[in-house]
Amino acid sequence: MILLEGKNLTKRFGGLLAVKDVDFALQSDEILGLIGPNGAGKTTLVNLITGYYPPNAGVILYRGKAISGLKPHAINNMGIARTFQIVRIFHKLTVLDNVRSGLVDRRTRPSWKVALDSLVKNRENQVTGRLGEERAIQLLEFVGLAAYRHELADNLPYAYCKRLEIARALATQPKILLLDEPSAGLNPKEQNDQIAIIKSISGRGITILIIEHVMKVIMDISHRIMVLHYGEKIAEGTPEEIYKNEKVVQAYLGGEAGAHN
Amino acid sequence: MNRKPLKSLFIILGILIVLALPLIIRDRYFQHLLVLSGIFILLTSSWNLLAGYSGLLNLGHAAFFGIGGYSSALLALKLNLSPWVGLPLGGAIASLFGILLGIPSFRLTGPYLAITTIGFCEILRLVAMNWVSLTRGSLGLYGIPPLTPLNFSTNFSIKFVSEQNAYYVILIFVSLTLILLNRLVHSEFGISLKSIREDELGSQSIGIDTSRYKLTVFMISAFLAGFAGSFYAHYVRLISPEMMGLSETFNILTMVMVGGLGTLFGPVVGAILLTFLSEGLRFLEDFVKIDIRFVIYGGLLMATILFMRNGIVGLFKEVAKPKESNGR
Amino acid sequence: MESLFLQQVLNGLIVGSVYCLIAIGLTMIFGVMRISNFAHGDFSMLGAYFAIYFVLFLSGWAGWVGSLVVAAVGVGLIGFFVERFLFRPLLTRWTDIDIIMLSIGLFILLENGARLFFGATPEMIPDPFQSKTINFLLFSTSEIRLICLLFSCIAIFLLQLFLTKTKTGVAIRATSQNRNAAALMGINISFIYSLTFVVGSALAGLGGVLYGTIFAVFPMMGAMPTLKAFAVTILGGMGNIRGAVFGGFILGVAETLGGNYVSMQYKNAIGFVIVILVLLVIPQGLFGGWEKKWG
Repeated sequence: MILLEGKNLTKRFGGLLAVKDVDFALQSDEILGLIGPNGAGKTTLVNLITGYYPPNAGVILYRGKAISGLKPHAINNMGIARTFQIVRIFHKLTVLDNVRSGLVDRRTRPSWKVALDSLVKNRENQVTGRLGEERAIQLLEFVGLAAYRHELADNLPYAYCKRLEIARALATQPKILLLDEPSAGLNPKEQNDQIAIIKSISGRGITILIIEHVMKVIMDISHRIMVLHYGEKIAEGTPEEIYKNEKVVQAYLGGEAGAHN
Repeated sequence: MNRKPLKSLFIILGILIVLALPLIIRDRYFQHLLVLSGIFILLTSSWNLLAGYSGLLNLGHAAFFGIGGYSSALLALKLNLSPWVGLPLGGAIASLFGILLGIPSFRLTGPYLAITTIGFCEILRLVAMNWVSLTRGSLGLYGIPPLTPLNFSTNFSIKFVSEQNAYYVILIFVSLTLILLNRLVHSEFGISLKSIREDELGSQSIGIDTSRYKLTVFMISAFLAGFAGSFYAHYVRLISPEMMGLSETFNILTMVMVGGLGTLFGPVVGAILLTFLSEGLRFLEDFVKIDIRFVIYGGLLMATILFMRNGIVGLFKEVAKPKESNGR
Repeated sequence: MESLFLQQVLNGLIVGSVYCLIAIGLTMIFGVMRISNFAHGDFSMLGAYFAIYFVLFLSGWAGWVGSLVVAAVGVGLIGFFVERFLFRPLLTRWTDIDIIMLSIGLFILLENGARLFFGATPEMIPDPFQSKTINFLLFSTSEIRLICLLFSCIAIFLLQLFLTKTKTGVAIRATSQNRNAAALMGINISFIYSLTFVVGSALAGLGGVLYGTIFAVFPMMGAMPTLKAFAVTILGGMGNIRGAVFGGFILGVAETLGGNYVSMQYKNAIGFVIVILVLLVIPQGLFGGWEKKWG
């Protein structure tokens, strides 16, 4: 079943055409890899999907409903979560609180209701209390950060920050998770850990779209791969097909597509 | 384990002292300072909600103070409205203006938001100065009715003209406010605000409608400041447009920074400390014949930022922190 | 009346030119160091007071010109120490809020310190031309005001030359655009920071002398110029010097015309109204600044 699809997506920044007439379809339960040289428009595509800016043309459909033009928070409330290329965790909050913030139910309550509930409900019944703590610890265990839960997020090494961001995104109970270069800046051991985490997430029934430059990671975990170059989709298929695809090889400056990193 | 009963004892002792204070020290001026401190605690706590917990640099906070004061005063003077009703009403009207200052905060940060909020505040101050038919301009409003007495029987009624009685009223409001703010900042709403403060885009990605949350917190903060303004109007019974001046905001800001930004008690400590310090310096001025109060204020603010960034409360927490366990 | 309108426009340009100088200093400092200095207007105030005391030594127009030099040098020096010992330590440590708070503390300190030192009574920088009025074409204004306008324009022109034609000037612009790249190119960032702050403050000092010549000098005079300088820099785009020049003249004229034709009492509000409108519609200012304020 097609969970998320985009048709004829175009995004222009001033004179620059970042995304040009791109179609894509994300099948439920799959891991779709998104690759392409720097500046190909991958992050722009994710930003379009998650509502950080509207497309100049084209539509994005989630379960058949158009979501292009909705704001980022609304899109998250519908079940799509994401991480960022440069990690955007909450530095001065503890690791635990980072995840707890994601656990807050904002799907059914507008801001003023949350404020009202905060005054009226007991701490116990809020994610900032015991209940939330247990659920948050579960998520942290999933990414292997439970031991650091009382640390300030600021103090974490970079690789752990990326995992924290994933845990926080998962806290919003998404159906789709968009990962933007989750392995960037990680050493080989950390990359392997990351692969394991992502596979686990997929195993739990969450559909994944992953942008990556680290070929080892993307080839390993993707069911299908989509390739962007100068804003256009130039190829789509299984990892093996992409590996051998002439156009893809060309785009990566000849012959690099199969090499390490 | 034997810390807890000791701590409870201190708390009970503290509460008793706070309750008995104006009965122990009967000097009226001292009591007046207590009332002023209470008013400032409302102002500092509400500003801290915006700047400390939500990361919103509002330098027009005095506008809420003034609007609350003028609204309640005018309603009492012109429509004979009971000041007790004027208190929450002044807060509510200030809250509406909170929307006005809150909207720019959707897209603006840092110095841009700062200047915009100063701008709004200055414009409102000029309105108060120049709309003479309504506000009597720079002469201000005088003869504002005090909080109406509570009549219990033909013989027994409590009036609220004296500093002592005003102290108990403000004490109730301050306590209520602190209890509510404590709940708020440790709640789901509070954690959402802190998230917005830390990273706005990241917050949006986890479902936080940052604009709405900012609007909500601006309205809450404005209500508290407006309430404080109304109380101030019915207490000192004379207000002028200077209530909405830039120095008023800077006063509040200095109190919060010195006390400790982003903490619950920082604004309380800062408000009390600087109110008393300011008056203490005034006595020094009689001695030394020059007004160095604000020079010291400025120096204090700078020293805090440079050396004691988290304020007095922050310093306290540093000192009280348990020894580091062996690494992470 | 036509000549009255043009007269007001001229007045607006004169005042605007002073705003330009002060605002350029502010926008340079912001552009290079990302410092929003709320005490900037107080540097103008200090410059004005330098002038007041200097003309006691040397009167006439030699004194006036001399006071400009003294103000620039004196305030520049003060700026050097302020940057080195107050702002520099903060640049790596803290956030936007801290720098703004520090500058507010400095503002409070300087303003009230000045009140202590110089007394609250307003003073005048004596007009070396003895208030001679010039009438030409449709305008009538005092000689000294025209000289102020002329001086501002020359100063702006010289600054432009400095920034575009000299190596150091180009280095400043480079640092403003991309600090890291500039450092990698071998530019001594520490030196650039100091220089920018000194030049920016000196400009404020000069603006203060002109402001004091046209209006009056008193300890609290720094507040309005600070806020107006911010309004101008936001209007022109923070970090954008050309924008500051345009913005300064626009604000000066808008204020004067608005003060005359709309309302005198709300004159000072005009700057704020403009800022609020501009920011709500075009957050990056009319000419776009380096800073991204959102998103």
